[in-house]
Amino acid sequence: MKYAHLVWKNLWRNKLRTAMTGGAIMLAVVLVCLLLTMPAGMDAMLNDFANNTRLTVHNKAGIVYSMPYSFVRKVRQVDGVAAAVAWVWFGGAFEEDGRVTFPNFAVEAEQIGAVFPDYPIKPEQLADFQRYRDGAIVGRQVMNKYGWKIGERVTLKSTVWPVDLDFRIVGVIDNDRAPHFWFNREYLDQALREKGRNGLGIAGTIWVRATDPRQVGSIMRKVDEMSRNSEAETSSETEKSFFSNFFGSLQGLVTIILIVTGLVSLCIVFIAANTASMGVRERAGEIAVMKAIGFPRRVIFGTLLAEAALLSIFAGVAGVLLALGLTGALKAAAGFSEMLGPLGNFIVTPFVVVQGLFLSLFVGMLAGVVPSFGAARKSVVQSLHEVF
Amino acid sequence: MEPVAAREPLIQILSVSRRYVRGVDEVHALENVSLSIAAGRFVAFMGPSGSGKSTLMNLVSGIDRPSEGEVLVAGQSLGELDEDELAEWRARHVGLIFQFFNLIPVLDARDNVALPLLLTDLAKSERLRRAETALRVVGLEERTDHYPRTLSGGEQQRVAIARAIVTDPDLIVADEPTGDLDARNAEAILELLRRLKNDFGKTIIMVTHDPRALRFVDHAFHLDKGLLLEGEDAERADRAVQLAAGGGLLSAAGAARPGGAA
Repeated sequence: MKYAHLVWKNLWRNKLRTAMTGGAIMLAVVLVCLLLTMPAGMDAMLNDFANNTRLTVHNKAGIVYSMPYSFVRKVRQVDGVAAAVAWVWFGGAFEEDGRVTFPNFAVEAEQIGAVFPDYPIKPEQLADFQRYRDGAIVGRQVMNKYGWKIGERVTLKSTVWPVDLDFRIVGVIDNDRAPHFWFNREYLDQALREKGRNGLGIAGTIWVRATDPRQVGSIMRKVDEMSRNSEAETSSETEKSFFSNFFGSLQGLVTIILIVTGLVSLCIVFIAANTASMGVRERAGEIAVMKAIGFPRRVIFGTLLAEAALLSIFAGVAGVLLALGLTGALKAAAGFSEMLGPLGNFIVTPFVVVQGLFLSLFVGMLAGVVPSFGAARKSVVQSLHEVF
Repeated sequence: MEPVAAREPLIQILSVSRRYVRGVDEVHALENVSLSIAAGRFVAFMGPSGSGKSTLMNLVSGIDRPSEGEVLVAGQSLGELDEDELAEWRARHVGLIFQFFNLIPVLDARDNVALPLLLTDLAKSERLRRAETALRVVGLEERTDHYPRTLSGGEQQRVAIARAIVTDPDLIVADEPTGDLDARNAEAILELLRRLKNDFGKTIIMVTHDPRALRFVDHAFHLDKGLLLEGEDAERADRAVQLAAGGGLLSAAGAARPGGAA
């Protein structure tokens, strides 16, 4: 403790340099803390998106391959299944865009409400959806993007099927997590028949709701068992797992971000080490004199390292506080806007705080240890010769 | 100057040589030097650059170790001490003064002087009290709160001297203490060192080029090319220095008596 005054005074010897070095370490800590919230945050987001009683069934070969529509009826007969609905990808492009800008599916109008009871759709709108063959229910995000209103008619030109369909918007999924465009599969079926095709005999994806979350596992096993050795073997997974796989590319992105963060942190270690070296070099004369008047090597090493540690602790605490502030602000913003809602899941947990502080200490010590050791290791006479 | 005295020697240099390697060459910085210095004396090591005077000072103060021979200070053979023990010995027994002061710029005069006391078990209040006392001895009691950048060169050297005496060492070793000062400040520093010897009984060894130093020291050892000059060579060197300092007067006052003991 008696060296604390010396360490403190030396730390602020060059205020600008100390601030810049501390700022660099702080930035690394903020970056790393925010990134460390991502895995847990994404998991929480998936939990938000996904319902624990819902599962999805698709062709084992991949979601672009279909299953026979008749398989949906078999799925509904499995013990524990409350409801099931078949989706078929329409790939419709809104005429103004000329390309697919939101997911649109042909669904079974009479089943969709039973499989997605947690989606905020008004009962009368669901009833209209079943009543009107050309009816469509659209996610609020898509409605807002195009400024559509209930009752409005829109045309989608399919990039998959040889038809353009004109829809009447009858309802809205009143949240921002489901940017879908659902329409009645009967409508597509009839349109295809009018074109001389065989009608819609397939299901792209089957969504199933279990009566009890504990039965989800057995339902998945039974469904996949039923399709074994058929032309379209299936693969079932929970909704969370489905989204997780669907967003698999994001996981890759997270990995890349983590690697980049690691490299950035390493760069900051080098920068901080260089700064620490400069600091030690410019004090070579003082250090030589301190050694000469009797300061042992361990004290020289200890005080120099303590400076680096102190700076990194300050920077680490500031970085953690900033990360907490930023995530707090995101959470607060999420309360005002549902669109930002998922960002509220990115929380700096105590474990992330500890990781951030350890990182800063590690960066600081690593940056400080080499020049400190170098300065302490030299003999007194060598140190004096170098400066006098 | 006082004549050579046969007091109990504080420092004994016994057949000391110091060689080191510079690149591919072996440099003979000191060759077979023997001398002794009695306690309470003020002596100078003089000689041209490369003569070995700073090397000799480093050996006496325990900063460096001889390649051959032995250095004894107050009966302690410095060669028997390891690096840490030597550092502790220096902290207890030696006060060092350098040409370029090398005060710590972020500490005020009092904290700079108190620096060596960090190596003791003294309480902070006692450390600061002793630092203030040392500053009073060197005449800087009004400047205790001043930082080095606000002090003149002479004042900074006085702070460095206060730092050297604050632990009350037996031996004060000064390396060119007047080398970076103007004539007036140089004389003041030399006078201060002499006062430390006279009033406090300190043994002072000073490495210097400054011919004025002869007026203040008890004895001057002259070195050249790593050898201690003795006999006629030493007397000749002494006269040359006296001449450089306006020596006639100095000589009349009884200046340096060269030789292997002081």
